[in-house]
Amino acid sequence: MNEPPAHPTPMIETHDVVKVYADGKVRALDGVDLTVGPGEFVAVTGPSGCGKSTLLGLLAALDTPDSGTIRVGSHDLVRLQDSDRFRRQAVGLVFQLHNLLPRLTVLENVEIAMMGSDRPRGDRAGHAARLLEGVGLGAMADRRPPQLSGGERQRVAVARALANDPPLLLADEPTGSLDSRSVATVLALFEGLRADRGVTVVLVTHDGDVAAAADRIIPMLDGRVVGA
Amino acid sequence: MTLFTLAVGNLRAKKARSAGIAFAVALAVMTVVTLSVVSSGLEQAAAAVLTIGKADFTVAQKGVSDIIYSSLDDRQVAAVQESPGVESAVGVLVETERIDAANPLFIEIGIQPGDLSAFGVSVIAGRAYGADAADEVMLGWQAARDLGLHVGDRFRANGTTNTVVGIYSTGISYGDLGAMFPLPAIQAYNRVPGSVTLVFVKVASGYSVVKVQAALESAHPELTTIRTASEFGRADRNIVFLRAAVTGSTILALLIGAIIVGNTMLLSLFERTREFGLLRAIGWSRGRVVTLVVSESLLLAVLGSSLGVALSYLVTFALESLPQLHGVLHASFSEGALLRGLVVGMGMAVLGSLYPAIRAASLTPVKALSHE
Repeated sequence: MNEPPAHPTPMIETHDVVKVYADGKVRALDGVDLTVGPGEFVAVTGPSGCGKSTLLGLLAALDTPDSGTIRVGSHDLVRLQDSDRFRRQAVGLVFQLHNLLPRLTVLENVEIAMMGSDRPRGDRAGHAARLLEGVGLGAMADRRPPQLSGGERQRVAVARALANDPPLLLADEPTGSLDSRSVATVLALFEGLRADRGVTVVLVTHDGDVAAAADRIIPMLDGRVVGA
Repeated sequence: MTLFTLAVGNLRAKKARSAGIAFAVALAVMTVVTLSVVSSGLEQAAAAVLTIGKADFTVAQKGVSDIIYSSLDDRQVAAVQESPGVESAVGVLVETERIDAANPLFIEIGIQPGDLSAFGVSVIAGRAYGADAADEVMLGWQAARDLGLHVGDRFRANGTTNTVVGIYSTGISYGDLGAMFPLPAIQAYNRVPGSVTLVFVKVASGYSVVKVQAALESAHPELTTIRTASEFGRADRNIVFLRAAVTGSTILALLIGAIIVGNTMLLSLFERTREFGLLRAIGWSRGRVVTLVVSESLLLAVLGSSLGVALSYLVTFALESLPQLHGVLHASFSEGALLRGLVVGMGMAVLGSLYPAIRAASLTPVKALSHE
């Protein structure tokens, strides 16, 4: 289960990635080497402060490494010119706290991710409705986030992450605040995305049971990948 | 969903704050529009004297604080009359007098009866006063109507009780709201024998008005010529000061308003840090975030500006109704005043929201999303 499958062109490839904070006093990532193939479902695990979320932030181009190289698909993230476009087109992000906008409807929360995309304006609402159908929330499109359960909100967040059909889904502790039934639903959703749409899923979690749902587990400790 | 509908939704979600910003814009716009319309009204009223004579241009003393203090002597009037291209030059003495509470600035014009025709005056009832009469007056038809006076009635003005010998019409409302006296009588009352306030010039056919003006100003540097109301400031320095005061007030309102808008928008930005972080994280560009924030501010500016103009109408109406200002204040809601208000409203919105918008767009998504 821990052996990376052989793929000619990896979806993610990092080499000796270093990220330091607090003027070099905190070494969040300390030479991370990682390869994830297209269509893989991997779980990055480890204790709090081991660098999981920092790694995810770098893979999403939310931050830049101090040294090392990161490639996601055809993108060299160290030399990335337009990180906004990259995040809009190449990755979908799911956070522990769903981060839905409470004043927007569920449909609008998905649609907002398409603003500025190449998708024609007239197609966006329809596409958002189809994505909500896909996560089992088609009937709740007109509701607002406060009217949903935690699990339902996280499924909306997954639908939003898929709004621009990204080949890579990055999820940071997406089940951290959910009950066990909702956890199972969200994990089944990730597995379905991998199986049905070939989406590469990188899941960050400190929960061993959640990590077990992935094809491969990438353990981290003190800013390094260990024993993957 | 569009950026516009998103901006509207965001504003509706924070009704109290949105109303506060819109009201701040409204107050600034109201102040600017009211100042503009009042000053414009004062300017128009002051410049109206130039329109009575139906002249091609008017000659006044250069650099006086108020055109009513312009003074030209007989020699200067004669010089104007003899200038090349001048067909006629009528010297008149203009003053204002408080007749009653309803007429605090009643206009009185001293003019020789022989010049009435050239000045565009038609006697429509009674007769013209005598050239040397000391107690005869003609009333404009509107003044006669408003005062309820007719030919033969007595009219106390210009230091004496006069007999109304005629009613005249100039075809100009401002002129028809006043009275005309024999020039020597009004000069004697004001102790300025031989002096007039303004000279109204008609240019002979075949001559260029502009060239005649230029030649006259060149030959007589102590005089200035005025062809349009917009040139009024060349003779009346009060108008220049008034315009400067309005411009200064406009800039001040713009700056104060922008600070209020900016301060409130910054507070809003702080509360919405996570939201902006999320938008950046899901791929919104900095430009799109700036556009959203500025759009919200502009929408409030449109709302506030509309409210400000409406408030300005109410305030102006209230000011005109005050006994102290009745008959003195004549508001003039010109396109320029409304445009000035709109510029202030929109300027406040853009200036006030630009810095908060850029700050919002510059947030690091990771830090913004971890904001509590």
